[in-house]
Amino acid sequence: MNGDLLLRFGFALGMIAVGVFAYWLLGQRLLARAQENVPALLDAPPQKPVIVYFTTPDCAPCKTVQRPALHQLLSLMGDRIRLIEIDATQRPDLARQWGVMSVPTTFLLNAQGEPRYVNNGVARLEKLLEQIKSL
Amino acid sequence: MTTFALEKVDHAALKTNQLTIILLNIVAFILNQPLLAAFVALVMGVGSALKAPGFGFVYSLLLKPRGWMKPDVLPDNPEPHRFAQFLGFLFMAGGSLALFGGANILGWALVWVVAALAALNAFGGFCVGCAIYYWLARLRLPGFTKQPPGGIIPGMKPKGSA
Repeated sequence: MNGDLLLRFGFALGMIAVGVFAYWLLGQRLLARAQENVPALLDAPPQKPVIVYFTTPDCAPCKTVQRPALHQLLSLMGDRIRLIEIDATQRPDLARQWGVMSVPTTFLLNAQGEPRYVNNGVARLEKLLEQIKSL
Repeated sequence: MTTFALEKVDHAALKTNQLTIILLNIVAFILNQPLLAAFVALVMGVGSALKAPGFGFVYSLLLKPRGWMKPDVLPDNPEPHRFAQFLGFLFMAGGSLALFGGANILGWALVWVVAALAALNAFGGFCVGCAIYYWLARLRLPGFTKQPPGGIIPGMKPKGSA
């Protein structure tokens, strides 16, 4: 009985791990795609971390969670980071090029302009801070 | 005839529905409880009949009032989401029948398919059932009249661009 339960638990964990791995792979693919499109957005290496934030005017979680988190981050970090906000309804070409599938989506670029992290969906302040620190 | 008029759809309610289905399906599998899988099928079936997310009550009665989940209202077509839930119901009902009939591998495979597709929707923003709906609409099948919101891949969560 317990053996069967453990086996099922292990199988479920395995399936979840496969899902997480697939999600990670998707993130890597998005980062590679973003890398190709950075030059169109930044003329030169930015010399400081950049957050590329894709949003739309009627995205509710963008207004209630993502934008406040980004503003908090800006007030904490000052001019040590740069925020580029892109309205996906105004720039659908950019959203398509960067592989943005939903909003909010945030890309974190290091000082050399290399995309290092992508957050599909809301990324809270703590997570953004952690990612910025590890750039 | 296809139509382009969009309605307001709260994607937070849809996401709650998907997350609840994933959780209950995994618990049903781990505990080897076909009854729980049948319960999920029943709720999805009732939701399909009522034209609402089956586990939407978890959102409206528990998560939303406490502020644990914020509304995410987007211009979208509700019909493809209802169709997707109905497809999920069919899979879950088939899975439950298979489990009660002793075909455990087939039964749990169908339960996992529903959980996987719900996860793809909840975490990846891609609704396979909706994509099938739009595909059938392109084939002009009667009853499938809606077009996907502009500028998105059919089945993807809208970016609020309509």
